[in-house]
Amino acid sequence: MGLLHYVGQRLITYVLVLFIGISITFFLPRLMPNDPIDGYIAQIQSRAGQTLSPEAAAEIRATLSELYGLEGSLFTQYLNYMRRVVFGFDFGPSFSAFPRPVSELIALALPWTLGLLTTTTVISWLLGNLIGLLAGYYHNRRLATGLEVLGVLIYPIPYYILALTLILLLAYTWKIFPISTTIRPAPLSLAQLGSILYNSALPALTLVIAGFGWNILSMKALAVSTKEEPYVSFARLKGTSDGTRMFRYVFRNALLPQVTALALSLGTIFNGALLTEMLFSYPGLGLLMRTAVGNGDYNMLYGTITMTIVAVATAALVIDLIYPLFDPRIRYR
Amino acid sequence: MIKLNNIVATYTTRRGQVNAVDGVSLEIPRGIILGIAGESGCGKSTLMKVIYGDIGYPLALSNGGVEYGFADEKGHPVTSATIRKQWFRRISYIPQSSMSSMNPVVRIREQFVDFQGPGLNKAKVLEEVRAYIRQLDLPAEAIDAYPHQLSGGMRQRVMVAMATFFQPDLILADEPTTALDVVVQKGILLLLMELQAKMRNTIIFVSHDMGVHYQITHKMLIMYAARAVEYGDSEAIFKAPLHPYTRMLIRSLPTIGDTQLREGVSGRPPSLWENLQGCRFAARCPLATELCRTRDPAFIEHRPGQFAACHYPGEQSIPLEAAA
Repeated sequence: MGLLHYVGQRLITYVLVLFIGISITFFLPRLMPNDPIDGYIAQIQSRAGQTLSPEAAAEIRATLSELYGLEGSLFTQYLNYMRRVVFGFDFGPSFSAFPRPVSELIALALPWTLGLLTTTTVISWLLGNLIGLLAGYYHNRRLATGLEVLGVLIYPIPYYILALTLILLLAYTWKIFPISTTIRPAPLSLAQLGSILYNSALPALTLVIAGFGWNILSMKALAVSTKEEPYVSFARLKGTSDGTRMFRYVFRNALLPQVTALALSLGTIFNGALLTEMLFSYPGLGLLMRTAVGNGDYNMLYGTITMTIVAVATAALVIDLIYPLFDPRIRYR
Repeated sequence: MIKLNNIVATYTTRRGQVNAVDGVSLEIPRGIILGIAGESGCGKSTLMKVIYGDIGYPLALSNGGVEYGFADEKGHPVTSATIRKQWFRRISYIPQSSMSSMNPVVRIREQFVDFQGPGLNKAKVLEEVRAYIRQLDLPAEAIDAYPHQLSGGMRQRVMVAMATFFQPDLILADEPTTALDVVVQKGILLLLMELQAKMRNTIIFVSHDMGVHYQITHKMLIMYAARAVEYGDSEAIFKAPLHPYTRMLIRSLPTIGDTQLREGVSGRPPSLWENLQGCRFAARCPLATELCRTRDPAFIEHRPGQFAACHYPGEQSIPLEAAA
């Protein structure tokens, strides 16, 4: 009963967040003063080097309006939009890759982004937390200070500087990794898998390094304060080993805020994807989003932004659902 | 017999070093409940730490040590140097607050066995634990719960169970009932007395509450400003205290039907940072003379089994009962 109620409540919140988020993506561009169709027509005119006749322009306008669901009142548009997005994940065709549908392009790019960013986020979380735990638990030893300094040094470096430095060092000076991603679409084979790993290694490395500095610092701070809790002192007086105290007492308790942090960073991986994928020309959602912005590809923008909303909301839902496993005090509430 | 040999325990602070326990010698017979009383800062908690062997920066044992009167697995007598290895085997500890002393995210049964070394038959021990806590008026399933699912009284019972399950020779309890309401407090105290009577182990019990001491302890130690000022059988101490400080502590206890305002002990204990001369209680003592202010009274046996550090032991001019 308690569990069902808990899950039910979270699911309702999830659906509500998605609904509001998708509605905002619908309305926000329509509040902008410029009209995408005007822009598109102007683009055609300047490309053709001549003005279209008013009739031709009106015709194009009508076709485009139909194609992009801009017919009828705002309310009708909204209903149509919601129907298409919710039941078909259909955002219409892409402007820049016409006539391929946006959903198809997203489906192609998504596994790349998810694969790269989920892996690196999880690795840097695990690594950062373990190092942070050691640095915090043994905070009055010299080695621990060294580990913390590692975090302090890495954390403030802006991502693009870190990434460019690594590209310069590891792809240009020493040609260990490719400068930009060259992955050929091919059926999944051992060779293809190797090619993917080889091409993803450098972006993955930059993401791991950029991510784990913060994890070291926050876990270290949490571990230091958790170590002073009476239950850790009492565990020491019971004669528990250092290992037991560090993992079962300090880590299990300091972990709770870090799980939330992991959820939030998993939710925002598409933001992280933007810069990484641009720097490495990595064929993921970030690059798609960037191209869409550059080309005024509204449908594509709708699609990628909606994906981001779904990702953040899903990550929050998943964390809400698994959080009771980490903190029993949530479970029966 | 547990022997404390002239224990001096020193804290290192930024200001320098200070002796929180300054020369306490005591012989505690086995199988009794010893109560330690005294106001905050008198050194009773530090003395408990020393007896438990929880000594580490900033606390150091600068003189003396404890002989526990039992031998370890190899037959060597256990002293302050080796007592750590006996934690929760021969010596155990009941902390003040049971809520904050349990790991909130781990089931209680895990916390019951996690200090045992490898090679432990966990399932078998937990079966015994279940049987044992039933004797303590706890449901056997209590150990399957998380700490927040139990009431304060149940949690403290679990703590008592944890500290007594391995039948240690010595149990230290640092104000184990302070955080509980009076009814629950009584239950825990009765439980401790009952277990002690059954297992015949020694309990050292710290409390501010003279009433609690009167109810459960066999012997009492009164501490004042890092020193022992009186030690003896509780009954004798409550009937005829030797030290004026003890007398004043007892006088502060209310009795049934009492309508008088209770008097506290006025003034404050001396700062341990100063160079202390003479009796440390002299400044607050109504009986103090020039002798008290200049010469430190020795802690000696004035009546059989009753020790005190006072130049005028047993002086009756401070009434035990407030004047009606």
